[in-house]
This record gives sequence, structure tokens and C-alpha cells, in this order.
Amino acid sequence: MTKRRSEIQDTIENRDRIHVVMFFLSILFLALGVFIMVKIVQIQAGYHVDSSVVDLFRPRVQKHVDKPVRGRILATDGRPMAISAPLYDIRMDCTVRRQEFKDKNNQAGEDAWRAKAGELAKKLSAEFRDRSAAEYESAILKGREKGSRYLRIKNNIDLSTLNRLRTFPLFNEGPNKGGMIVERHEERIYPYDSLARRTIGYVKESNRIGLESSFDHVLHGREGYEWRRVTDRKTWIRDLDSASVKVIDGDDIRTTLNVDFQDIADKALREQIQADDEVRAGICIIMEAKTGAIRAMVNLSRGDTPQTVLWERDNLALREVGEQGSVMKTVTLVSLVEDGYVKTLDQTLPTNNGFVPGGYNQDVHILDYQRETGRRDITVMHGFEISSNYVFTWLAENYYGKKPQEMFDHIYSYRFGEPFDFDISGMGTPVVNRPGTAGWSKTTLGTTAYGYSMAVTPLHVATFYNALANKGRMMKPYLVESIERNGKVLKRFAPSELNSSICSPATADTVTRALRAVVNEGTATRLRSAKLAVAGKTGTARVVLSPEERGGSRDPYSDSYGRKKFQGTFVGFFPADNPKYTILVTVYSYPSHRNFYGGTKPAMAVRSIVDQLYALDPAWRPELVPSAALPQMKKEK
Amino acid sequence: MTFSSIWTAIRNTLKALRNGEFLLRIRADKYYMHIMYLFLLMWLTIMLSLRVDKTLAQVGENKAAIEELRIRHSEKEAELVKLESASETEARLKKMGSALAMPSVPATIMKKK
Repeated sequence: MTKRRSEIQDTIENRDRIHVVMFFLSILFLALGVFIMVKIVQIQAGYHVDSSVVDLFRPRVQKHVDKPVRGRILATDGRPMAISAPLYDIRMDCTVRRQEFKDKNNQAGEDAWRAKAGELAKKLSAEFRDRSAAEYESAILKGREKGSRYLRIKNNIDLSTLNRLRTFPLFNEGPNKGGMIVERHEERIYPYDSLARRTIGYVKESNRIGLESSFDHVLHGREGYEWRRVTDRKTWIRDLDSASVKVIDGDDIRTTLNVDFQDIADKALREQIQADDEVRAGICIIMEAKTGAIRAMVNLSRGDTPQTVLWERDNLALREVGEQGSVMKTVTLVSLVEDGYVKTLDQTLPTNNGFVPGGYNQDVHILDYQRETGRRDITVMHGFEISSNYVFTWLAENYYGKKPQEMFDHIYSYRFGEPFDFDISGMGTPVVNRPGTAGWSKTTLGTTAYGYSMAVTPLHVATFYNALANKGRMMKPYLVESIERNGKVLKRFAPSELNSSICSPATADTVTRALRAVVNEGTATRLRSAKLAVAGKTGTARVVLSPEERGGSRDPYSDSYGRKKFQGTFVGFFPADNPKYTILVTVYSYPSHRNFYGGTKPAMAVRSIVDQLYALDPAWRPELVPSAALPQMKKEK
Repeated sequence: MTFSSIWTAIRNTLKALRNGEFLLRIRADKYYMHIMYLFLLMWLTIMLSLRVDKTLAQVGENKAAIEELRIRHSEKEAELVKLESASETEARLKKMGSALAMPSVPATIMKKK
């Protein structure tokens, strides 16, 4: 009984203990709930951030974005043509420590700071030589008076200069005491300045051109990031607990451009057009015959006014679609020989006083020919040498007049009908007025035969001539030969064909003979004594003027003063017997009363280039083989 | 459990703490090795963490130094490449009054028989 009572007593005591604990817990939670509710209302209604506390609540990690280093653009021998490196803008906070000295009434400190500013001014003046020491000192002290916190000291300085600046008085005390502000920005350096600048191109916010644009996905690389935290010693280190993405620098691209060739071509072209302010622009393409690799691409132009300096402003070689003139007679000749209509270059045709029936203009050169020779017929070869429009109109009308599509099929097979894939985007779209199109008329066939009524780019023309140099095999021009990372080739671009055979080797040989005759006896005799035998063709074309340029004239080729715009071209290959390079030079004029023939400035530029390449290219180095062995000297025993 | 028993427990704890007998009273001596092991682990963790911080700081400094070297290399490379271009060399020779010019004939290669 007593035991039973004792058990009941224990149960009551246990219940009391549980009640007490539960009571306190419920009170605790109730108080906590009330506190939270009050706090929520307080925060929502009237909480203001205490700036002294903000720093304590700010996360102690920061996201740091790593920008990749843009890949380099290399010449074919590995010399860099575009490199990335940062440049720095220097600013100065002139107000540093001013308030501190004022608050502590420390005039001596202020005077010492100003004395250092004077020393700094002297050093800056000696470093940059753009302002006197007094001017620098005045600017800094005025900035201090006026409270300038961002005084411009110098823009775009390199790292070596920056490191020197960091040793100068005040600047060696850091940003908080010396006021030095350094702003870094990545810049592209072009060591060869304007050389091939338009081909290399650039990438700016709204403007992207050249290889820099076409291969931006390769050159750019991939940005990375990491989270950083501050250590007890106030240094920022990588936070290993957070995710990070490793930065991948851009890959390099190795171009086919040869810096020496580019330099020679640029200089030769400048020599011909620099002094002539009626020349608007000049271009040069040097292409390796076997592969189609472009070794030089020069695009010099003056812009809208003759007063502006020659500069690589626009890629005319790639974009300028125009009637090419007599250089296209070679196209007609290749078609005629290939189709068997011209069996030999000595084949003759009647001169007819330079008239072809059907609305064509008279060719006055034929009248001169008739007068000089007394003949009433002319060979195809001679017609080609003197670049007679009559001869090629007659040949086209006579052999393709009833089936013009046959000639245009050839033109399309030479890839003149469309822009082809190229390493730089923006290739001009050719205009070919074939039968059935709006531009077709009864004289289109004949005018196409001598280079009008059809507009193509200089690169199309160079590619065609390169095919002739290659015995009919048309190679696709290309500018990039590989993508590399740290010198290791990741991807190589092999030469490729546009057309494996535009004509038979026999046709190519026949036409090469005609091109050689142009240099020896025809319109390009300035190249006759070049150090390497050149085969090529000149072309002089009038350029259609815009309505603004015409100024009311009804002639599409001349303005109201009778001035005309010309483009003179020489295109060919060398050495003629075993071609290694194809070359094209075109000169464009402003509206002028003068003529700009392909046989003058362009041919002279080609001559200069060929002579210099002859001395430079290892392919033509003569070998000196000893005729006898040197006697071996032996020591007497 | 009553208020008096709670108060007694608190009072005894405070007394034990004052007399340095707290760990003995709760029989912590049984766990002495565990406590020491825990202490060692904590010390190791802190020490390793500090060393990692130091290493990472060094890595950061090295990266900055490498970056500076890369920039200097790029700048120097650009300067040197510009100086060695043919037209630049020709212009400098001309400025110095030298009669040296670009070759007009290719160099002859000497071949071994």
C-alpha cells in the first residue's frame, strides 16, 4: 500500500516537472514570436542602414573576372603582326590628405606634401616632355585648391613608363597618400603600323573588319572567373570553397602574309602613287601560284579628298567590284583557245577599219595598225599585244554570237559569277550580264569580251591569272594557314581548289605565250627588263561615276567637266616559264582629264616588286659549287 | 525538477568552476584523450588554413609577376619587330648617312661538293 502511494507520489512529481519545463518553453517561444513580430514591423517601418555597420555585413568574398589575353596574328614566318598588351591612363587625386592636415592643423604636413608635388612635377615634365615642370605643378596645386580628384596626367603609357612613374615622389606613396590613380585598358599593338592593316583588321564595339573579325572566335579566348576572399593580412586570395572557371587565352592565327613581301609591295606602290594627288587608291595582291596563299595584300587609299594621306582605309582588293577592262581579254582568249576557235595565236582576222557591225564603237588602234603596217588583217597575238577591243569583239561576236551562253559558261567556270569563300568576309558580289538578264543587250557579248559589262573584284582577277600560272588549276586564295596555341599547331588549313581545271595545260601554255608577248612587245614593255621574266596583261578601264560625281553629265563615265575616273591594272605571274607568284597591281584615280594606264604606274610598281623579290626570295639564289676539293693538310710524322 | 533543484545545480556548477573541479565533477577525465585529440585537430585545421592562405597569396603574387613579365615581353617584342622591318632599317641607315641599301641580286649559296 505504502509502495503504491510512493509510486503515485513519484508520478505526480514527474508531471509537475514536465509541466514546469513545458511552461517555460511555451513562455520562451511566445516571447521569441513576439520579438520576431516586433522586429519585422520595425524593419519594415523604419529601419535605416547604419553606414558604419554596412561593412561588417558586406560579403567578404568578391567575384573576380579574368579576361583572356587576345591571341596574336602572326606572319607566315612567325613574326607578330598584332599583339595584345595593356596601356595605362594616369590620373591624380589632388585632394589626398588635405582634410587630414586641416583637421590636425598640420601646416607642416601640408607644406611637405606640396613640396613633393613640386618634385613630382619636375619628374613628370622630364619623363613626358609635353609640359614644363611649372605647368605640371600649377595643375596639381590648382587641382588641390579646387578639390580635383581626377586630374589627367597622361594617357596610354606602357608598363615600363608606369613602373618609372611609381618611383616618383608622391606616386611612390600609393593611392591613399600620393593620389596616383592608374586605369588599365587592353590595346592591340600593330608593330608594323599601317602594313596590311586592313587585311589584319580590328575589332571595335560597333565595327569589325579583317582577320580580327573573321577569326574573333579563335583570337578572343574564353573569360574565366573566381571568387576571392580577403585574408587576415588584407590580401585577396582565391576562395577555394567557391566555384571557379579557368580563363582560356585566345589562340594565335598564323597567316600566309610575308612581312617582307608586304613591306616591298607597300613601298613600291607608295612610290608610284604618293606624289600623284590625282590617284585615289592603289592595291597590290601577291599570291603564291601553287597554293593560292596570299603573301601580300596592300590596300592604300586617300579617302574622299586628295589631301588626305595614303592609308589602309578599305579592302579594295576584296570589295571593289568594277569593270576591269582589258585584263579580261585573257578570259576571252582562254575560252576561245579552249573551245578550239582560236587554234593558233597567229590566226588572223580582217581589220575592217576597226568596226564590228552591231552598234560597237570604232577601235582607233586598228586604224593606226592599218596605217603603220598597210595590212588589212591582224593576228590574234598582235591584237592581244596591243590590247585591241576590236579584235576581241570580233572574235566574241564571230564565235559566240549565236551561242553566247557558251562564253558565259566559261566565265562562270572561272568563278567570276559569284563571291567565293574567303578568310575575310565582305567580298564584293560580281555582276555578270549574261543572256536573259536585265543588263543584257546586243552589245553585251562584245563589251564583255574586252572587260566591260561585267564587274568583278581584283581578287577574282588575280585568282584567274593564278590558275593560268598553275596550268589551269584554280586554287582558292587564302590568308590563314594555321591556328596555334603556344607555338603548337591546333588546326592547319591546307590549300584547296576552286576548280581543278579551268582549261587544259596546253591552253594555259598558249595563253602564257600571249601574256609574255604583251610584256615583250605590247602594252607592258616597262616590265621587259625585269630581273625575272614576267607574263601578264595590262588593263585600263573607265569607272562608272555616281550621279553626284556626274554632276548633270549624261555620259555615265564622265562628269560635266569631261573628267573621267580610271582604274589601271597590271596582272600577271613570274617567272613566266615556271611561275612562283601571281601579282596584281591596280591604281584608281579621282575624276581627271588624264588617263591612268595599266602599263604605266601599275607596271612600274610590279617591276620594282619583282626586282626586289628576286633579290630576296631564296628560290632564286644561285648555288656556288666548288670545282675541286681543297687539299687536305697533314701533319708530318 | 523544481526551481530549487535548478538553482542548486547552477550554484554547484559555478562553485566547481571556481575551484577548478568542473571537468572532474562531470567525469570529463574519461574523455581526456578525446578532448586532446579534438584540440589537436582544431590546431591542425587552423594551421593548415593559414598555410593555405599564405600559399594562395603567394600564388596571387606570382600570377601578377608573370602577367607583368608577359606584358613587358609583348611590348619589347613589338618594339624589336618594328625595328627589324626592311623599310625601317633602310630609313635608319639613310638617316645615319649609310650607303648600304637593299641587295639587288640574290645571295649566292655555297654548296658542298
